[in-house]
Amino acid sequence: MEENKKNKFKTPEGYFDSFHDRLMDKIHEEENIKSTSLIPESDGFTIPEGYFEGLPQSVFKKLKTKDTKVIQFNGSRKIYYRITAVAAVLILFFGLIWNNESKLTIDDLASTEITDYFESTDYALSTYEIAEVLDLQELELNDVLETNLEDENILEYLDENVDDLEDLNLDYENYD
Amino acid sequence: MITEETLVEELKHKESQAKAFEVLVNTYKERLYWHIRRIVLDHDDADDVLQNTFIKVYRNIDGFKGDSKLYSWMYRIATNESLTFLKQKSKKAGISDGELKTAMVEKLESDVYFEGDEIQLKLQKALATLPDKQKLVFNMKYYQDMKYEDISVALETSVGALKSSYHLAVKKIETYLKSN
Repeated sequence: MEENKKNKFKTPEGYFDSFHDRLMDKIHEEENIKSTSLIPESDGFTIPEGYFEGLPQSVFKKLKTKDTKVIQFNGSRKIYYRITAVAAVLILFFGLIWNNESKLTIDDLASTEITDYFESTDYALSTYEIAEVLDLQELELNDVLETNLEDENILEYLDENVDDLEDLNLDYENYD
Repeated sequence: MITEETLVEELKHKESQAKAFEVLVNTYKERLYWHIRRIVLDHDDADDVLQNTFIKVYRNIDGFKGDSKLYSWMYRIATNESLTFLKQKSKKAGISDGELKTAMVEKLESDVYFEGDEIQLKLQKALATLPDKQKLVFNMKYYQDMKYEDISVALETSVGALKSSYHLAVKKIETYLKSN
């Protein structure tokens, strides 16, 4: 047994002599997975002939037409509420301009009418476009929910549904 | 061979933009395609998502600060575009994410661009049972030979967490292949 004079801890015999070999084994373990594993080396996907050669042209073509393409809105109820909020601001703005000609104000519109309008109208906005005009800094979670959500409800939900806390750090929309 | 920094600079300037974009597409098309294809499985869907990814890169290049490698940043966009695409697809069909994944694998059996045999089809069935993160790490490491450091930037996850996800994925897939 080797002994460290300073702290009296001991290591198994030959521990340090074989350390390098074991470390290298560990490093090569990943490469070894492929040669020893049941998992096939190829996953069987193929592509049409000449696909990659023609790809740049297809991307350029799509880039040119993309601006004029109408994106169908397919949002959730939560998004409808957000649109309603945007619409309310727009209607208030135009309401003020029109105010000189008529006496119609935002108060004349019931909020259910605004909601109905957006629920029944095909609104050509993608979620990205909505996100661009919405100021999320001023939007509280409870603004878009029908019933108030308490902190303890959130903690309870996270406790039951999130396996890995790292998942919460994923910010899919931030490309900066 | 043009450097990444030069390419980014050229993409940000109007006069050199078009040529630089062509270089960008040609440099990264294959790597990004295979990354996307392994998430969405179908070739036509992969083509669609790949084109949208390049368009998003082109439009957001001014927002690229250069803190990470350009291609890690593009992988992030490609991953998000692919996952969003699948979410929209399941929503449109009125089925859950799990049901969509099962349907996607079943569709592979008649896919002309899938030449896998029984074991490769079984592999896809095993992958469909994994959480998204584990499936992504597995494909990026095992089939795309990416370094953990690059995967870490692309998926915004620590190298340690990625290593454990990868090993867990390998174990789960092997168990699936043995038992089914």
